[in-house]
Amino acid sequence: MRVWMRLARAGLALAAVSIAWAADLAYACPSCASPLEENRQAFVDTTIFLTVVPLMMMGGFIWWIRRKLREQNDLPEIAVPQDLLRDAGRFSKRP
Amino acid sequence: MPDDALGRPFGVPARREPVVPNGVLGMLIFVATEVMFFSGLISAFVIGKSNALGGWPPPGQPRLPIEETALNTAALLASGVALYFANRAFQKDSPNTKRLLGLAIGLGGFFVLFQGAEWIALIGEGLTITSGQLGGYFYLLVGTHALHVVAGFLILLYTYRKLSEDQLDRFTFWPAQIFWYFVVGVWPILYWQVYL
Repeated sequence: MRVWMRLARAGLALAAVSIAWAADLAYACPSCASPLEENRQAFVDTTIFLTVVPLMMMGGFIWWIRRKLREQNDLPEIAVPQDLLRDAGRFSKRP
Repeated sequence: MPDDALGRPFGVPARREPVVPNGVLGMLIFVATEVMFFSGLISAFVIGKSNALGGWPPPGQPRLPIEETALNTAALLASGVALYFANRAFQKDSPNTKRLLGLAIGLGGFFVLFQGAEWIALIGEGLTITSGQLGGYFYLLVGTHALHVVAGFLILLYTYRKLSEDQLDRFTFWPAQIFWYFVVGVWPILYWQVYL
């Protein structure tokens, strides 16, 4: 039974890979086959832009959350008198 | 018994606030999708512009009012600055909050009305959404932004009402600001791409 399962999986994987041979040029966008250099450059520029923007947003959000978490870790778990709080310095374990 | 800096009795477990308030998180996610939406529109416009035979703007089409819109851009940017100072005043519980928030709303309203007048003039000159690539892209990009400005304007009006009733808290004010800063921030990019 296991052998048949493995063969079936391998067959599926081969079928998936074989699709690569069917790939051909697709004129789906007006820029891909445009003779205008400016147009091709605009296509490349916007592709880079649309790739970088979401990554920057996600990276920025993670950085911001991390900073917020660190700030929160600097607060004591329980209420402490202000003079003690002043002397204690940071409460997180980071150097 | 001595109290700590936040007025809590000594030794009582601290009640921590969430790292990001729900409203702020929701608005940030929404604005992120909006950034991608506008990025897509701007990218389509840039490619369309570079593909135009005969140069851009297309010949025979009305010219866009660059100088007048520069003034309107300044009004929208000033609205963002006024909102920033309104927030600072709000944090200090200053009575200037209402005045500054009112100024931000007023400048936002001016932007919408000015743009409405500009549209009427352009339609009169023959630039419509079906008159060509310029009209199509112009009304799509600027119109989508205008819808966002109107939405932001209504949100700011809501916060102003809450402030007047002395019920405005930072969990309501902060998301409203994020949206308005987005609306203000995306406009100079649109102005640069569409008008200049």
